[in-house]
Amino acid sequence: MDTHAALYAQGQQRLAYLRAIAPRQSVSLEQKMADNGITRRDFIKWSAAMTAMLALPLPFSNLVAEAAELADRVPLIWLHMAECTGCSESLIRTDSPNLDTLIFDHISLEYHETLMAASGWQAEENLEHALAQYKGRYLLAVEGAIPTANNGAFLTVGCKGHTGLQIVKEAAEGAAAIISVGTCAAFGGVQAAYPNPTGAKGVHEVVDKTVINLGGCPPSEKNIVGTLMYFIMFGKLPALDMFNRPKWAYGARVHDNCERRGRFDAGEFVETFGDQGAKDGYCLYKVGCKGPYTYNNCPTERFNHHTSWPVLAGHGCMGCSEPNFWDDMADFEKPLGRQLLHGIDATADTIGAVILGATVVGIGAHAVASVFAKPLED
Amino acid sequence: MQHQATHTRHYIFTPAIRIFHWLRALSIFVLIITGFYLAWPFLVAPSSTDVLVQGWLRFAHIIFGFGLTAVTIARFYLFFFSRHDIERRSFKDVMSVSSWISQLKSYLWVGHLNKAGVYGPLQFVTYVAISIVALFICITGLVLYANVYHQGLGGALWEISAWITAQMGGLAYVRVIHHYLMWAFIIFVVIHVYMAVWSGIRFKHNSVDSIVSGYDYHKDH
Repeated sequence: MDTHAALYAQGQQRLAYLRAIAPRQSVSLEQKMADNGITRRDFIKWSAAMTAMLALPLPFSNLVAEAAELADRVPLIWLHMAECTGCSESLIRTDSPNLDTLIFDHISLEYHETLMAASGWQAEENLEHALAQYKGRYLLAVEGAIPTANNGAFLTVGCKGHTGLQIVKEAAEGAAAIISVGTCAAFGGVQAAYPNPTGAKGVHEVVDKTVINLGGCPPSEKNIVGTLMYFIMFGKLPALDMFNRPKWAYGARVHDNCERRGRFDAGEFVETFGDQGAKDGYCLYKVGCKGPYTYNNCPTERFNHHTSWPVLAGHGCMGCSEPNFWDDMADFEKPLGRQLLHGIDATADTIGAVILGATVVGIGAHAVASVFAKPLED
Repeated sequence: MQHQATHTRHYIFTPAIRIFHWLRALSIFVLIITGFYLAWPFLVAPSSTDVLVQGWLRFAHIIFGFGLTAVTIARFYLFFFSRHDIERRSFKDVMSVSSWISQLKSYLWVGHLNKAGVYGPLQFVTYVAISIVALFICITGLVLYANVYHQGLGGALWEISAWITAQMGGLAYVRVIHHYLMWAFIIFVVIHVYMAVWSGIRFKHNSVDSIVSGYDYHKDH
C-alpha cells in the first residue's frame, strides 16, 4: 500500500470512530450552511481547496468534507494566555460567515474565553469540567505566550488566580494534541522580545509534549482551520518543519512564492516608500522585507478571504511567523544588513569599517616606525 | 665571469598550497563584492526585467562560495595529511613561550624571527582562526543555499541545514552571522597583505613571492 492509500485508510478509520460518538451540536453543519446561504457546491469547492492546501491528493476531499461535518465530535479547548486575541480575531472576524468560521463554530468548542457566555466561577467550572470529561481526547489550542518569571505570576487568569503557567501545564497533561496558535504561543512573540522581563516563553518550552506551532501575528484563518481539520481527519499531527510548524503551511519561504520575486531577481528595488518603484510594484527588500528569512504561505493564501497580504499592500514582510522575530527582524523597514546592533546603535558594517580604519592606522604607524627602526643586523 | 651565490633557496610551499591560496584569494574578493550587493543592492535597476542583475550576482556569489568551500575542505585535509610537514611543524612554535616572545619582539623591530616551520606562532594562530571563520562562513553559506535551492545539492543538504537553522534560532540569524563573519576576512586581508610585504622587507627574505614561486631565499652565513 502506498503512503497516500495508508493515510486514506487511517482517515476513514478515524472518521468511523468519530461518527460513533454523539454529536455535541444540536444543529448539523448542513443546516448551518443552509442558514448562512452557503450552498453544497460552495462546500465541495471549499473541501477541494482545503485538500489542496493540506498538500493531499484530490480524493482526500471526500474525507475533508466528512471531517468538517464530524467536527462537532472533537472537543476543543482554547486557552488565552499573554496575548492580544488577534489570532482569534483572525479566525472569527470576517465580513461574512464563510466556511472557515462556520467550521470553527461547528467544532465542539468547550472553552474559549472570548466567545463563551460564561464568566467568573462558571467559566472556571466549565474549564475544569471539560478538562476532566474529555481527558486524553481533547484538542488544546493555546493563544499567547506563557510568562514564567516569578513562577508565572505575571499572568493570572480567572477567579481562582491560577497562573497561566499552571493552567497550560494542567491542560497539556490530558490533551490529545496541542496547537500553539500564533507566534506568541509558538515562540513567545513580542512579549518575549528583549529584555523579556516576564520571562515569556512559547508553550513548547513549558510542556514536555510535542506542540504544533502556528507562527504568524496572526496566522491566517486557513492555517488555523487547516490544522484543526488535519487533526479531526487523521487524529494525529501533520508533518512538521524545523520549528514544529506544519509543512503544508510553512514549507516554503514567503520569498519563494512572492508575486514580486521577479523584481527581486531583476534587481528592481523600491528605494523609499512612495517612489516610482513602489508604484510599479518593485521588490521591497531594500525597505526591509524579511520574506527571504520567513517560512509561511502568506503569498498564496493571503488574509481575509484571500483578499490581500502585507507585500501586496506595499509593505515588506516583517517575518512575524519566525521565532524571536521582534528582535531578529528589526528594523522592520530596513534589510538585515542595516540592522543596528543592540546597545551600540550602529550597523555591523559601520563597526567593521571602524575596526578596519583602526587597523589601517595601526599598519600605517607600524610602517612609518619601520622606516626609522634600527635595521636588522645580519 | 662566475658569480658566487649569496643566498640559498628553500622550497616551502607546494603547488597545491599556492594554487589554493590564490583560488581562496579570488573567491574572497568576489564574495565580498557580491555579498555587499546581496546585503544592499546598490546597482540601479536594469532597463529590462529580462536582465537578472540580482540573479547573476547571486549566481557568482554561489559559484565562488562553492569554490571557497571546496578550498577550505582541501586545505583542512592538506594541513593534516600533506606529505610536507612544513605547516604542521609550526605547531612546535605555538607551544613554545620563547618563540612567541621572539616573534612579538621581531614585529617590534627587535631581533630576528626564528621559527621551526614556515609560520611564526602568532601568524599560525591567526591562520587557524581565519580557517575556522572560513569553516563557519561556508557552513552558514550552505545553510542559506539549501534554504533557497531545494533540488540537487540543496535538497541533499536540506535536513542538516534545517537542523542548523533551528539551532541558530532562524534563518535571519544565519544570514546575520554570515554577514558578521565577512568582516573578519576584510580585516584579515588588510593585515595579511601588509605583514607579508613588511616581513619580506624587514627580514630580507622572499615573502610575497613565495606564495607564487614556492621558494624562499635566505642569505648564506
